[in-house]
Amino acid sequence: MFGAQVTALSPPSVDYTAMLPVLIVLGAAAVGVLLEAFVPRHLRWSVQVTVSLVALAGAGIALGAYVPGAPAQGVTTMVDTLAIDAPALFLWGTLLALSFVALLFIAERTVEPGGAFVSQAALRGAAGAGGSVSTREPETTGGRDGAAPADGARGMQTEIFPLTLFALGGMMTFVAANDLLTMFIALEVLSLPLYLMCGLARRRRLLSQESAVKYFLLGAFASAFFLYGLALLYGYAGSVRLGDIATAAAGSDRSDTLLFAGFGLLVVGLLFKGSVGPFHAWTPDVYQGAPTSVTGFMAACTKVAAFGAMLRVLYVGFEGVSWEWRGILWAVAIVSMAVGAVLGLTQRDVKRMIAYSSIAHAGFLVIGVMTLSDSGLAATMFYLLAYGFTTLAAFAVVSLVRDADGEATDLSSWAGLAKRSPLIAGVFTFLLLALAGIPLTSGFVGKFVVFSAALGEGLAPLVVLALVFSAVAAFYYLRVVVVMYFSEPAAGGASVTVPGAFTTVTIAAGTIVTLLLGIYPGFALEWAGAGGFAF
Amino acid sequence: MTSFVEAGLVLAQTPGQEAVTAGEAAAFWVLGPLAVAGALGMVFVRNAVHSALWLVVTMLTLGVFYLIQNASFLGFTQIIVYTGAVMMLFLFVLMMAGKDSSDALVEALRGQRLAAAVFGVGFAVLLSAALVRSLRDTQFAPPLDPTSPEGGGAGGLGELIFTDYLFPFELTAALLIVAGLAGIVLAQRDKRDEGVKRSQRELVEARFRGEYERPSGRPGPGVFATGNSVATPALLPDGSIAEDSLSDLIESTPTARRVSPPGWMRALDSAEQAEGVHGDEGDGAGPSTTDDEGSER
Repeated sequence: MFGAQVTALSPPSVDYTAMLPVLIVLGAAAVGVLLEAFVPRHLRWSVQVTVSLVALAGAGIALGAYVPGAPAQGVTTMVDTLAIDAPALFLWGTLLALSFVALLFIAERTVEPGGAFVSQAALRGAAGAGGSVSTREPETTGGRDGAAPADGARGMQTEIFPLTLFALGGMMTFVAANDLLTMFIALEVLSLPLYLMCGLARRRRLLSQESAVKYFLLGAFASAFFLYGLALLYGYAGSVRLGDIATAAAGSDRSDTLLFAGFGLLVVGLLFKGSVGPFHAWTPDVYQGAPTSVTGFMAACTKVAAFGAMLRVLYVGFEGVSWEWRGILWAVAIVSMAVGAVLGLTQRDVKRMIAYSSIAHAGFLVIGVMTLSDSGLAATMFYLLAYGFTTLAAFAVVSLVRDADGEATDLSSWAGLAKRSPLIAGVFTFLLLALAGIPLTSGFVGKFVVFSAALGEGLAPLVVLALVFSAVAAFYYLRVVVVMYFSEPAAGGASVTVPGAFTTVTIAAGTIVTLLLGIYPGFALEWAGAGGFAF
Repeated sequence: MTSFVEAGLVLAQTPGQEAVTAGEAAAFWVLGPLAVAGALGMVFVRNAVHSALWLVVTMLTLGVFYLIQNASFLGFTQIIVYTGAVMMLFLFVLMMAGKDSSDALVEALRGQRLAAAVFGVGFAVLLSAALVRSLRDTQFAPPLDPTSPEGGGAGGLGELIFTDYLFPFELTAALLIVAGLAGIVLAQRDKRDEGVKRSQRELVEARFRGEYERPSGRPGPGVFATGNSVATPALLPDGSIAEDSLSDLIESTPTARRVSPPGWMRALDSAEQAEGVHGDEGDGAGPSTTDDEGSER
């Protein structure tokens, strides 16, 4: 019945050099899965770490080789499903750099035996100890985890590396997706590994799995919102391409109900991923429950991906109807900043505090997105880069402050930390000041460029509010500083574990980038402002 | 489902369309009632498995309807994906959850059933009205060519998948790999500890070499004890309690600690309740088990 009309399909043209970074990352992820099957267990960690890092470095080199000769207006490839333009290239660079550092953090296995991702809480690397090692955990009532004579180094579930690479591949596709269908699938590819990775802290199994389930259920809701919005927009424009939607919105007498209902649902999905404003409910719980290295990866990279996609959707697809949605985003930005700043004040847990800080920062980023100007685009992307490195390093520091039960994230156990380890306390203070936006840090430059871009577009009231909320948020950052420096060390409080080489590199890289972008932001700002979107 | 029949009637009587062939009409009149019966059966049958099977009947008939309407791809998808995969998955879950478990027929929310009935009928009326109106007042689109990309047939879809949407299609491969890997990572049991489990002889030798706290297991409830519960301590010949036989777990529960040893009989009552809570931890901390295999669980 169908055989009669067979015609040869012409294969779509693919610009391999342009999309090489994505192909390398996804390819390495697939190779990592195979390695998991064929490499003997005692070699897996080293092989996986090597392959992942080499892949990231290779993708970075491919990107670096492509950028200088890249066409200024960008290219679209794979039949216009991917738009590889200046913002996409900048965000790819940001994502690759952040993931490289985050991957080192994830691979750490000396701070606790076998790393955070052991397959059983009992595998603690207490080799040879025959007696009963008391390893009672806070949430589990299980009695003694007897000494498992397992080599701690072998305890790590190395599937985490391919999963990270898949998530990264999804993120890179997400920020470059030129149509909503590709964007949706990329959204799933980036989310699914993250849901899983959140649940892998087997030493704090209950918290961790609760966070994974919570993230999964709420994330599935958000994806459904996105998909429904996509369907309505397809009904409106007859196409899922962002450019076609913009054209349809610009000159047609079709029902605006479809357009705006679709837009609203679509943006809800994106705002959820960026942990913005009223869609933030998952953030504190998931940030707290997930293994700290995964939290760092998620906080830094997911935010880049979500806001990168939001920038593209708003700039390319909905710039023409900005009058209609700007008011909504005003409200969203204000709610997000208020929630992040005010609820952050009440937190006693350092990880939750950084989570609320990320919600406040998401509000600032929404202001940058709303400007819809070239300077706003560059400023927002710079902010993403700066915030990513700072928050990643902050989580790496959090992972080092430990007591007998593991990570001591409660603020009370951080009391007097500066007296025990002045270096770590100093680094954390610097990172907190960067989050607060004090001059000489990247946080200040990021806020400055975003707010000045917003002022240029007449968003002055919003900028004033943002400054107020920055001041409120600064209070809780400074509270941690005060606790670290001016409180007496509590008996049995936390101490700082000597970090392994990997975590050291993570903290050092995050701190140095935070400082460099604060002193000499020119290079990054210039690259961020290299050009607009292609579609 | 009533709406479906009405829509079918309207469809059958729509003027200006190609006449419905006799075969099509016959198929409709045979399968239509079947579909409705399936839907009603699904709602009214008590047993969950039977209910699912009734739903399968409805879905199969709908699939055949699609085939009759020339939407062969949709029809086969309906049969293969919905009936074949989704419903079978559903049945598996039902079987795993226990096919005997029936729903509680008590109304949890007051007036829920009435409200559900009202809303259900309202929705059916709404749906029928919209369908009737759309079938009466609209111009019918010309029949689509299922092989063209716009026609919705398998050929057109395939063409789109391998040209315009090649990249998203290939990206779903990543999604499937992650899903598979995720299942393995979450469900896989780490068997490394089991590989190093000592044999009974090795264990005995190790015990007598002094690698463990004591050569024997801990004493069980003694013959003078009043019960064989884990919470009942063993008694020494002089009638005093053998401290060794006390369970760490039970001793550490607040109720047991609150009551001091002289009143241990009373303590045991509450401890036995506590045991009910903690007993399923199964960590072998009871007095009659050896404590050296704690990691074996």
